[in-house]
Amino acid sequence: MKLSRRTLLKGALGGATVTVGLPALECMLNTHGTALANGTLPKRFGIWFWGNGVLPTQWVPTGEGTEWTLSDQLSPLADVKDDISVVSGMSVKTGNAIPHGSGPGGIFSGAPLILQGGEEYTFSTPSIDQFIAREIGGETRFRSLELGAKPGPGLSFNGPNSKNPPESSPRRFFDRIFGGNFTLPGDDPTPDPRLRLRRSVLDAVMGDVGRLNARLSMHDKQRLDQHLTGIRDLERRLQRLEENPPSLESCALPDRPAETFPDVDGRPPMPEIARAMADVLALALACDQTRVFSFWFTYPVNNVLFPGMPAGHHRLTHDEPGEQPMVNDIVKLITTELAYFVARLKSIPEGDATLLDSCAVLATSDTSWGRNHTLDDYPIVIAGNACGALKKGVHYRSPSNENATMVLLSLVRAMGIPAAEYGAEAGHVDRSLGAIEA
Amino acid sequence: MSHMDRRPWALALAVLAACSQKAEDPPIVLTELPDVAPAEAHLTRLTATQYRAAITDVLGEGLALPPQLEPDLPSSGLLSVGASESTISAWGVEQYENGAFSIAAQIMDDETRRAALVPCTPQGTVDAACTTAFVEQVGRRLWRRPLETDERDALVAVANEAAMTLDDFYAGLEFALAGLLQSPNFLFRVELGESGRYDDWEMASRLSFFLWNTVPDEALLDAAAAGALSTAEGLAAQARRMIDDERARDGVRQFFTDMYELYELDALAKDPTLFVHFSTDVGGFAREETLRLVEYIVFEKDADYRELITTNETFVNRHLASIYSVPAASREGFAKVTLPRSSGRRGVLGHLSFLGLQSHPAASSAVLRGLFVRKVLLCQEIPPPPVDVNTALPEPTEVAPTLRERNKIHLENPSCAQCHNFMDPIGLGFENFDGLGRWREKDNGALIDASGDLDGKPFTDAWEMAEVVREHENVGICLTRTLYRYATSHVEQADEGQLIVALSKRFEEQGYRIKALLFDIVTSPGFAKVEVQ
Repeated sequence: MKLSRRTLLKGALGGATVTVGLPALECMLNTHGTALANGTLPKRFGIWFWGNGVLPTQWVPTGEGTEWTLSDQLSPLADVKDDISVVSGMSVKTGNAIPHGSGPGGIFSGAPLILQGGEEYTFSTPSIDQFIAREIGGETRFRSLELGAKPGPGLSFNGPNSKNPPESSPRRFFDRIFGGNFTLPGDDPTPDPRLRLRRSVLDAVMGDVGRLNARLSMHDKQRLDQHLTGIRDLERRLQRLEENPPSLESCALPDRPAETFPDVDGRPPMPEIARAMADVLALALACDQTRVFSFWFTYPVNNVLFPGMPAGHHRLTHDEPGEQPMVNDIVKLITTELAYFVARLKSIPEGDATLLDSCAVLATSDTSWGRNHTLDDYPIVIAGNACGALKKGVHYRSPSNENATMVLLSLVRAMGIPAAEYGAEAGHVDRSLGAIEA
Repeated sequence: MSHMDRRPWALALAVLAACSQKAEDPPIVLTELPDVAPAEAHLTRLTATQYRAAITDVLGEGLALPPQLEPDLPSSGLLSVGASESTISAWGVEQYENGAFSIAAQIMDDETRRAALVPCTPQGTVDAACTTAFVEQVGRRLWRRPLETDERDALVAVANEAAMTLDDFYAGLEFALAGLLQSPNFLFRVELGESGRYDDWEMASRLSFFLWNTVPDEALLDAAAAGALSTAEGLAAQARRMIDDERARDGVRQFFTDMYELYELDALAKDPTLFVHFSTDVGGFAREETLRLVEYIVFEKDADYRELITTNETFVNRHLASIYSVPAASREGFAKVTLPRSSGRRGVLGHLSFLGLQSHPAASSAVLRGLFVRKVLLCQEIPPPPVDVNTALPEPTEVAPTLRERNKIHLENPSCAQCHNFMDPIGLGFENFDGLGRWREKDNGALIDASGDLDGKPFTDAWEMAEVVREHENVGICLTRTLYRYATSHVEQADEGQLIVALSKRFEEQGYRIKALLFDIVTSPGFAKVEVQ
């Protein structure tokens, strides 16, 4: 994005420290002078995930750097090609113990899973959305939002055995954010004494947590601590509802989605569900209700019957013979929906740029080639440039199966978090991926 | 263990013995249960069904309950064990808060509901004494113990503040009730013990959540208050009462829902172009069929658990009857039918809840079905497939039309065969049932061969296999182990394994009757002892 002199000036007036000539770490306020109190627009981080991987031979773009051509499976992203970066040839190094489990563990936490017998597992450390939410999620009404186009447990981990389950109903997702006491910028919040009283109840509940805590084992203390974090988050949410909303010019009420999305020929209308959710999520970001999200288009091992397909997705990845044209079509359906979401973020102006420019969205899957669960040549797309911290419109192809955690460290740093390292054991890195950084 | 002999069913055994044996034969002596070292204490989150049952039992029927709660996730194959490991997410906290206020408002806005729960008439907008009485009375049921003074006073203070602000006594109670419902003392089972044992209140909770899948009733709390649950006699008396109570059906239903993964049926998806009998309500019907049969075997008949595997009786509604091609016994709802030999179908392994659930959306699966029998009925672990193999099966051809032939690669490749040999021969025995569970003679035009063997015991089809599974040496101890884990919400530690072996011997000695096993578990040292932090 370009920074005009006027924008810089207003940024300085708004209190942000700006040194001309260095890449901006924060997006500047816009020409109308509306922005957050400190004169900057926030950065946002998100995960966009689909299950069952890709066909690597039809996924990897040709060409490198800024001179590259979309592959067949990425072709639906043509309209936003200049806003995304594709990273290929990198490997998840954290071991491949659980098909469809080790991949997400590595690509979201950079650390090996904790195996719990059979095919059960948990992440050993927080997933990257929660790692980032701890640093940048504290200001907004929601520390993070999780959503999925189908019901499922998701893979947003606070730590071992502690998940943040996604909402799977577009209607309920809307109601959670924009229902009830939500106030648009420019409107005064309706005074509601019940909000303060609800916080008094939470104070009493926190007293119960405190008394209980003293009697617990270390393991249960940690679990209850997670509960306490949730209660504090809720207190903050109630408090935010009592305050004047931030003045954000692109904040608007989305349409309230339909209550149900009935199956068509026994097949869930995944694109319609995902788009309804994407529309709500984009405005939740524009209204600064959260700065961190994870969007689970589908889950690992899902057997979703996609339109026109004779079997579930997971079965097809294993059973479809030959070049797997049906699996190819499903991957393209998925990247079409990714493209819709990216374009939706781009359609919302913010400052002199767009909402997408303040985002870094990590779009990836649970494996590279679904058929045999490979973790090399991992599919990674990054949308948005985190207010100029990341390059956009590039394809980086690793010449040497570099550690995919390097991408995570780049993303963490792009969010303004000065991390020296990321990941654990074989996934650990202290070097980020310079090729995608601005 | 002399008090054990006074149990009604122990007596019944003795009577039977007297009829069939010579008078001088010694009475049947049941295996003694060994003592165990106490297991670690853990907080167990109320599952979604327990949360809803608790609200209904304590606050009244017919309340609109939260549509969504923190999801239950299995660990070691059981939601019950997962409940002692998982946490409450930020969104979960929000859902519990919304739910608490919705429930509290429904009660305080309804004079009849309110009158049933508020034990006094308020003298003015703020009436601390009446509020205190309400918090104490309802709090004891919801938290399954009396409230400590400071706990109670914190909620009374919130209620007074709300009553004053909103100028309404009952609005105050609404906030106090919402507080009770959001507290970790309600949402978690706080069973931490003292002096190496669970205290009386904790025992009441343990009994009730295990046997009834809900909070204790007043009688059980009164027994706890009187110290009865820390005596062997008092505990046995309550256990007997609870197992004979109708609510024990809820407990046993929940156990089998958990063990057989029947909760997965909510998301059952089939390709309706291939399975014309499928509709989205079939999953729920299938679960109800299995649970009705469980109730019938365990409570109506008090019969051998293994009959669940071999009985030719089941319960179907019209929809299931059409899938099974049997006449429905009733126009409305579920009714008992007897399956003929020609149906090829019997026992839970003939239910859609198994055949349809352990299949793919568009096809049957020998692997999933075989794995279920090994893992769930026989408690045999099979590792996940190696990550780097091509698991594709060849498409059907004229020379290899059926799954048995297409599946051959699993058994011919030695590295596949070492695990698939355990699963596929069982699963192929169910091939007469398609991916939904309908009977078929042929697959891709070729006659199905459903014969095979289970650990050397041959069968010609699924009907015969049911008998072989029933007689497998693991069936009894597997059920015992799973029920023990379910009861205690943890995977057995150290010498609890010896206790489980002894429990399973008693299970066998008492004719594999679940009710007897329930009693043995709750009166065993493993259920009462805990390592205090």
